[in-house]
Amino acid sequence: MIAQLIEAARRRADGGADALWRRVERTTVAFEWGRLKSAAATEEAGANLRVRHRGRVGVAGTTAVGGDLLDRALASAKLGEELDLEFPAPAPLASLTTCFDRAANASLDDLIGIGRSLLARLEREGCRVNVAIERETTATRVANSAGASGEYRSTAFGVSADVWRIAGDDVLVVSDAFEGADVPSDEALAALVASINARLDRALRVVAPPEGALPVVFTPAGLSALMLPVTQSLSGKAVLQGISPLGAKVGQEVFDARFSLTDDPLRIGRAASRPLDDECVPSRATCLVERGVVQRFIYDLETAARAEVESTGNGQRGIFGKPVPGYTNLVLNSVAAPHAAPQQLGGGLLGDIRDGLLVDELIGVGQGNVIGGAFSHPVALAYRIERGEVTGRVKDAAVAGNAYELWKRVGGFGADARWTGSRWAPSVLFEGVSVARR
Amino acid sequence: MIDRLTAALAASRADYTEIRVEQTWSSAVTMRGRRLESATASEDQGGFVRALNRGSGWGTASFTSLDQLAAMVARADELSRAVLLERPIQLAPVPPQRAEGILDLDGDVRGVPLAEKKRLIEAYNGAMLTVSDRIVDTLATYRDEVSEYWYVNSEGAVLHELRPEVTLSGTAVARRDGTIEKGLESIGLRRGWRSVQDKAAGFRAVAERAVQLLDAPTVTGGTYPVVLDPELAGVFIHEAFGHLSEADFVYENPQAREMMTLGRRFGKPVLNVGDNGAASGLRGTLPFDDEGTPTQDTALIREGILVGRLHSRETAAAMHERPTGNARAISFRHPPIVRMTNTYIGNGRGTFEDLIRDLKLGVYACGAFGGQTMLENFSFTAAYGYMIRDGQVAELVKDVVLAGNLFQTLDRIDHIAGDFRWNQMGGGCGKAGQFPLPVTEGAPHVRIEEALVGGDVAA
Repeated sequence: MIAQLIEAARRRADGGADALWRRVERTTVAFEWGRLKSAAATEEAGANLRVRHRGRVGVAGTTAVGGDLLDRALASAKLGEELDLEFPAPAPLASLTTCFDRAANASLDDLIGIGRSLLARLEREGCRVNVAIERETTATRVANSAGASGEYRSTAFGVSADVWRIAGDDVLVVSDAFEGADVPSDEALAALVASINARLDRALRVVAPPEGALPVVFTPAGLSALMLPVTQSLSGKAVLQGISPLGAKVGQEVFDARFSLTDDPLRIGRAASRPLDDECVPSRATCLVERGVVQRFIYDLETAARAEVESTGNGQRGIFGKPVPGYTNLVLNSVAAPHAAPQQLGGGLLGDIRDGLLVDELIGVGQGNVIGGAFSHPVALAYRIERGEVTGRVKDAAVAGNAYELWKRVGGFGADARWTGSRWAPSVLFEGVSVARR
Repeated sequence: MIDRLTAALAASRADYTEIRVEQTWSSAVTMRGRRLESATASEDQGGFVRALNRGSGWGTASFTSLDQLAAMVARADELSRAVLLERPIQLAPVPPQRAEGILDLDGDVRGVPLAEKKRLIEAYNGAMLTVSDRIVDTLATYRDEVSEYWYVNSEGAVLHELRPEVTLSGTAVARRDGTIEKGLESIGLRRGWRSVQDKAAGFRAVAERAVQLLDAPTVTGGTYPVVLDPELAGVFIHEAFGHLSEADFVYENPQAREMMTLGRRFGKPVLNVGDNGAASGLRGTLPFDDEGTPTQDTALIREGILVGRLHSRETAAAMHERPTGNARAISFRHPPIVRMTNTYIGNGRGTFEDLIRDLKLGVYACGAFGGQTMLENFSFTAAYGYMIRDGQVAELVKDVVLAGNLFQTLDRIDHIAGDFRWNQMGGGCGKAGQFPLPVTEGAPHVRIEEALVGGDVAA
């Protein structure tokens, strides 16, 4: 279908075309408040077409078969602004396994079995547990009028669990999730259970929050508030708009010399990995920050054309709308995963802290002027650290700071690096983070 | 289509089956600065089948190829049978409805050329850009859709609707040296092309405010009496309280049920809260929810006391209460879950001036840049604010963030004015991966005796 679409577009659009066709098939089972409640199947297919005609670019998408996709793309191009967009020529692709048979063939009973086993290990007095298991297979085809094309099948598997404890008006939720391309191993499921139980056990006792400029350890999940400004400002789109504080800092050391960050679409076993992006650009790892020095930004074809650089192969497109630059797997300080030894909360960073905080989840991350770097968030799940030990959960506290300032001097990186969604990161200790009681 | 759907229903082996089919035409035009970012027209279609068998759970199937309808009905039944339950799911009774609902399209957006939609949003974008040379960036989006909707279930319900929607949004970014401020405009209506004409003034106003905020001081953090404008009060009641009144949060969770026991006092007698899916002409309004239950005005808090909650047929049956028409899905890709529609704080008495007259020092918090609730804790960022000094509105201030505990804050609402209005905004509500669901919020000016306000957290 996609070949005909490109062929038809080539005849009517003088500047060429590219297209994506994607078919997703998904099965989900959900355990709600401790019991299996529903099973769901999804089958979805659609196409997204982009054309360039008389120097202008237009896009259209559809889930309907046939229809007027090309007409709509041309109508969109008529209004579009001029853009010198070049579709990439064919290029060799890295060989990459994206489809795992166990995930592709997992039956409903397999999913239910994983859920029941998790539930059994997470159930406890006074708590309620939600678990969801999802498997997905996707077929993707991309092609353009310059002759480049790609086709691959991929799988994704997700397991998420949250444990709720409500005591009077105190609501505590501790959650974790596994996301990968293959069915999780028994060790991975055991790690998920251990991670929830460890954080839940230590949350039962509520203690008063500390106050002042203090050492604060952010867990791999809690690190979002500090990573979001960095990833936003390393997007070529933000650089083009002139709103990225890192836009003019390539080659400069603006982070702690132990901080490196890479976008890696070729990691095996990750759901975001793929041999080429959604615009026919071959996948490759992009080093964004190396030893504290800003290296480059991510681009899709359009932002690359406007910035007069090469696409980094970060074009992402859905069925509707135009492609945008997006990250695949973000890897902070690529070090080998520590072995299956049970991970310590705080990654070994707590020992030297006399009085401080361990932050696992904040409220309102992503609100306001994120890219500016300043943040101020109430805690959703955080613990007090006294004399190197977690002494209990704190409520009614807020942390604040400036992400760029804090990344300049890191107190330490933990030995507990793990995947949180598509980000690989350890716990990180920062000194002098504002902690306020409220 | 109806015949096709009823035939597929008749072939289902499940005890209960429902089918939803949607066909949606949409278009969107986005301007960034002086540049067109994109102009697209899309076509989306698909269906959703949900099946339930005695002793089993829900089986669902969603799909984009309508040729698959019969197979998907069989698949949903098969999935339901695979989910064995000790306690059966029951559905509270709803008399099956047969209705044809063509909502007022008010100028069918499908007949308007994309070029004209571009001209409209270009003009509104221009209204922001021309305010001052301090406006360094703008983002303006026009979006519309018309959705044709069919719903049938094995109890005999047959619904067919045509649902329009149109939204405008604008962001103006003002900058001087290192200081950056934003203004946001948002309009969302369940109407058509005619309803979004002559809206330039709102876009101009937010750009002007962004420029004024460059000179405004950051509010000094601390505890103040706070007056919320109707927009922020509406966002507050939706986020901080509304989600707790969704019955799927409590119906199988005894501790949550206890926290939300009907009859519990949540506020002073001035406080009335409700959710009205049947209100006339609002974005959250529809004649029926996605289980075919008629929408209605549901009281949640009356004179400070919790009196009701929002239900689907399943949660209503489990709690021996009545369905309220709040089972909603954002599209055929999702199952219906308990959601809000048009959520409001009921009207009080008197004027805004009555609320501030006796305040020596306070904060008037206006508009919303965002808000997040985590259960009993919330954090809201107002778009801007003013100090209140000696009973008068005084200087403009920025970075007004309200944070606190829901139960304490609701209980501290001590005065509600009589100037209720609905906020017809775009955006939408998110829950369980379903975003954005069209909803509306409404409120009058609301006073909280004491709330924590902080931009900066003092170290």
